[in-house]
Amino acid sequence: MVLVEGRHFSWREGMTVADLLREVGDPYPYAVVRIHDRVVSRPDFENVTVPRGSEVYLIPLIAGG
Amino acid sequence: MAELKVKELKTLKYERPTIQRGYANQTLCVNLSDANITIKPVTDRMKETFTGGKGFDLWLLWHAVNGRTRWNDPENALCIASGPLGGTPLYPGSGKSIVSALSPTTGSVMDSNVGGHFGPYLKFSGFDALEIQGKSDKPTVVFIDGVSQELQVLEIAGLPDGAHAISEILTNYFGQGKPRNISVVSTGPGAKHTLIGCLNFSWYDPKRGRARLKQAGRGGIGTVFADKGLKAIVARWDTVAVATNDPADEAALKQVAKLHSQEVVEMDPKQNEMATVGTAHLVTIMNDYDLLPTHNFKYGQHPQAPNMGMEIYRRLFDKGFDGCWVGCTLSCSHGVKDFVPTTGPYAGKKVFVDGPEYETIAGCGSNIGIFDPLHVVEMNFYCDTYGLDSISVGTSIAFAMECFEMGLINESHTGGIDLSFGNRWSALELLHQMGRGEGFGKIVGQGVRRMKEIFSKEFGADRSIMEDIGMEAKGLEFSEYMPKESLAQQGGYGLALKGPQHDEAWLIFLDMVHNFLPTFEQKAEALHWFPLWRTWFGLCGLCKLPWNDVTPPDNKQTKEPAKVIKHVEWYTQYFNAVTGHSMTPADLITMSERVYNFQRVLCLKMGYGRREHDALPYRAMGPVTVEEYESRHERYDKQLKETYNVEIDGKSSAEKVKILRKLREERYEQLKDAVYERRGWTKDGIPTLDTVKRLGIDFPDVLDVLRANGVS
Repeated sequence: MVLVEGRHFSWREGMTVADLLREVGDPYPYAVVRIHDRVVSRPDFENVTVPRGSEVYLIPLIAGG
Repeated sequence: MAELKVKELKTLKYERPTIQRGYANQTLCVNLSDANITIKPVTDRMKETFTGGKGFDLWLLWHAVNGRTRWNDPENALCIASGPLGGTPLYPGSGKSIVSALSPTTGSVMDSNVGGHFGPYLKFSGFDALEIQGKSDKPTVVFIDGVSQELQVLEIAGLPDGAHAISEILTNYFGQGKPRNISVVSTGPGAKHTLIGCLNFSWYDPKRGRARLKQAGRGGIGTVFADKGLKAIVARWDTVAVATNDPADEAALKQVAKLHSQEVVEMDPKQNEMATVGTAHLVTIMNDYDLLPTHNFKYGQHPQAPNMGMEIYRRLFDKGFDGCWVGCTLSCSHGVKDFVPTTGPYAGKKVFVDGPEYETIAGCGSNIGIFDPLHVVEMNFYCDTYGLDSISVGTSIAFAMECFEMGLINESHTGGIDLSFGNRWSALELLHQMGRGEGFGKIVGQGVRRMKEIFSKEFGADRSIMEDIGMEAKGLEFSEYMPKESLAQQGGYGLALKGPQHDEAWLIFLDMVHNFLPTFEQKAEALHWFPLWRTWFGLCGLCKLPWNDVTPPDNKQTKEPAKVIKHVEWYTQYFNAVTGHSMTPADLITMSERVYNFQRVLCLKMGYGRREHDALPYRAMGPVTVEEYESRHERYDKQLKETYNVEIDGKSSAEKVKILRKLREERYEQLKDAVYERRGWTKDGIPTLDTVKRLGIDFPDVLDVLRANGVS
């Protein structure tokens, strides 16, 4: 399982961040997610896999400065 | 403790006024030339027009200087203010001070916001703003004692030069066993040897038993402080409670403060983790999006950047509460405990380092080609203790390094220092030279604009290429975001009143990453609303971070998520609860618009503030060199073909650089037109008569300045 903002999603081998976001189905254009302590940005969503049992945070905006 | 020799130059007993709905209703003026102390009333008109904070600073500065005043003239006023909401202990981020003065690097108006306890302690001692004029040839300390209701101008011999040592000693000296009651403003030896000095504002951290420091960094305000002969300004105040600021509706204030504070506690761990890693979370994100300046803004990405990301600083930062104001739940002022510098006067000794924040990591790290987190911590420590702005230090060294690598300068100019990118020992040596006022470091410490002058006139370097790669505008060094691919952020930097600092508008993500601002009109609207909204925090004594570095769970469903409207409404309630007014969110924007336009006219009074002064170096807009173009040729080729319909087949990279440059420079000029129109300014970037009348800032001397610049 993977936990995303309090909701459970089933996990599969090789599941990428992009795969997970498609399952989450939130249309908001997230630029960044955090998997435990690790930040992953959109350019890497298709390449980074989500470990089993992860807690994933969807970062809504990056405010900067 | 060092043995101090203290001599009273002036002491004035005063009756501390009762704070009324966020205001002390008076300001304090200290003239160092004759140790004269004056207390001036704050009028209703002043509050209605300028609100407080930066607004009061600018009003005082306007009257202190004339159009011929230079930064090192005695009449240049260094002004520090809190604001009507400043000093509220429940609401996150309510302890900021705003510092303003004429800048040594820009010659025009500078403002810089900073945490620490000084602003609130100043206000609760009875003063909405402090104005320092004149100069002293003695080591002078101004002591504002709100507890004993006494103001003193003191000559104190025996104080050390470094900011950490000064803050520690004066906290103990004036604290009378209660160090928490003291806040010290100081700079360091680098400030008097360079033009990029910063101010350190202290607060006492009881858990760690030490004075902690935050910096008012930009534009050489610390250099103004040092030039006036000041060693420190010290404020003393006692217990702070919600009632201390006399809110008009304490229950309403507590209610809205609790909402925001609890939301921070709930959402920050799920979002940016500011309470754990501060702004260090931005490093890898900026790198991922090609926005982290590396090698003097040549590129925005480097494979070693993750070495300096939040995963590293999470381990380096000392755990514990790090709020720079009482009760701030965002508490992002982290530090490194027991750090042992390898160079300089503190080599081999354990020190506490306040920071680093993102800007220092990027400026003193990636932008000079260094990706070692401990090097950044050491640069951070010495910037603070020498009283130097770590952003200007980083951007200035980066420029010198690129000039060195281009062969524009060489070791005969640098005193034998190899200034290749990535040379950490050279970077540290330059910093120590700035602290000592020696060698090539002293030249670098003049900032990028003056280095261009010196390198061309004295070293024979090519001026035109330095104009392209020297990352300054209006004389201020760029802060650490790569604006090349975001036209809106180019405007955010180029059209900022004081120069390229991101605190007016940080639109890179909205524009480039989210593509929420596709048209000129949308960019212009963003460059109207965001600078005004961000200005409002500086009028009120607030930190902007709780506004949009933590967002409500339902924010993404709102029409304009970037504005975080729910928080804007909370801030409106906060303002009304303290002041007793009945403002709307739109009224808050108008409050800022008055001050923003007044600042533009003050720039004009000082000989700046026109279209020509909103220029950018081309490095901020696009690839200067073939090397830069070819490193991202797919992006640039695509833009030329698809956005501009340029036939590029058969064209060399050098030709494409030239074509792209022309197009991007035209686009920036179009953006200026759109923004000036939205702001109610002329094509030359000057507020129109209608604008100043609408805003109620049509004072006779404002109209005189406009008339002298062709606006009537």
